[in-house]
Amino acid sequence: MSDAIKVDIWSDVQCPWCYIGKRKFEAGAAEFGGEVEVEYHSFELAPDTPVDFDGSPADYLAQRKGLPMDQVEQMLERVTGIAASVGLDYDYEHVHQTNTVISHELIHFAKSKGRQLEMKERLLEAYFIKGEHVGRIPDLVAIAAELGFDEAEVTEALECHRFLKDVKEDVALAREYGIQGVPFFVIDGKYGVSGAQEAQTFANVLAQVHAEKGAA
Amino acid sequence: MDTLPLLIVGDPQAASCEGDFCEIPQHHEQAVVNRAIDSDRV
Repeated sequence: MSDAIKVDIWSDVQCPWCYIGKRKFEAGAAEFGGEVEVEYHSFELAPDTPVDFDGSPADYLAQRKGLPMDQVEQMLERVTGIAASVGLDYDYEHVHQTNTVISHELIHFAKSKGRQLEMKERLLEAYFIKGEHVGRIPDLVAIAAELGFDEAEVTEALECHRFLKDVKEDVALAREYGIQGVPFFVIDGKYGVSGAQEAQTFANVLAQVHAEKGAA
Repeated sequence: MDTLPLLIVGDPQAASCEGDFCEIPQHHEQAVVNRAIDSDRV
């Protein structure tokens, strides 16, 4: 039986704090040093967003929240600065605001092949850093093909929405846990950690769980 | 997967996204301001 500590992470592809939180969690897990098994779960922050939203993330926020454009731009600039502090080069000028449900389906497809973590990282990079579209099937297939997945198989899975049920089950599970925001980390099915916490916080919780398992 | 009540740990003010909005907690804003001040000094 594995001694790995299970960490379930709810996250959305277009959530800036999820990518930042991912880096902080990874740093915390490295500091902890023990074995950790990560599984990502889907969370849709804005399921009503059109796939081809006509505008930038700044336009989206300004329209949705009625915020002045200069305030939105300042917010994005601050997030970009915080992302840079964990080594992520966010490029909001080229981000394509979109609906992420099919990208979640692709993450589940990759999970069925035992490669979920690789796909999750690649899609976050696609959205925040590379300015790639993560809402359209052809764009997602191209990303999957680049990672070595079979194009025809990915296309078929996404076009028939074979993994949509898995996405919806993740969202329902989040609701059962009472998760309202992401990133959200469930550690060993017992501890809940909300948001892009500092690496030390993750290291401490993992060490706590490790100690509890050792004492059991 | 069982969903037992979770023990919530960590900073309750940590940055997260809810709905279609991602808030920047005050301390994060201050950290960025501090970094900007530091880089100005350099």
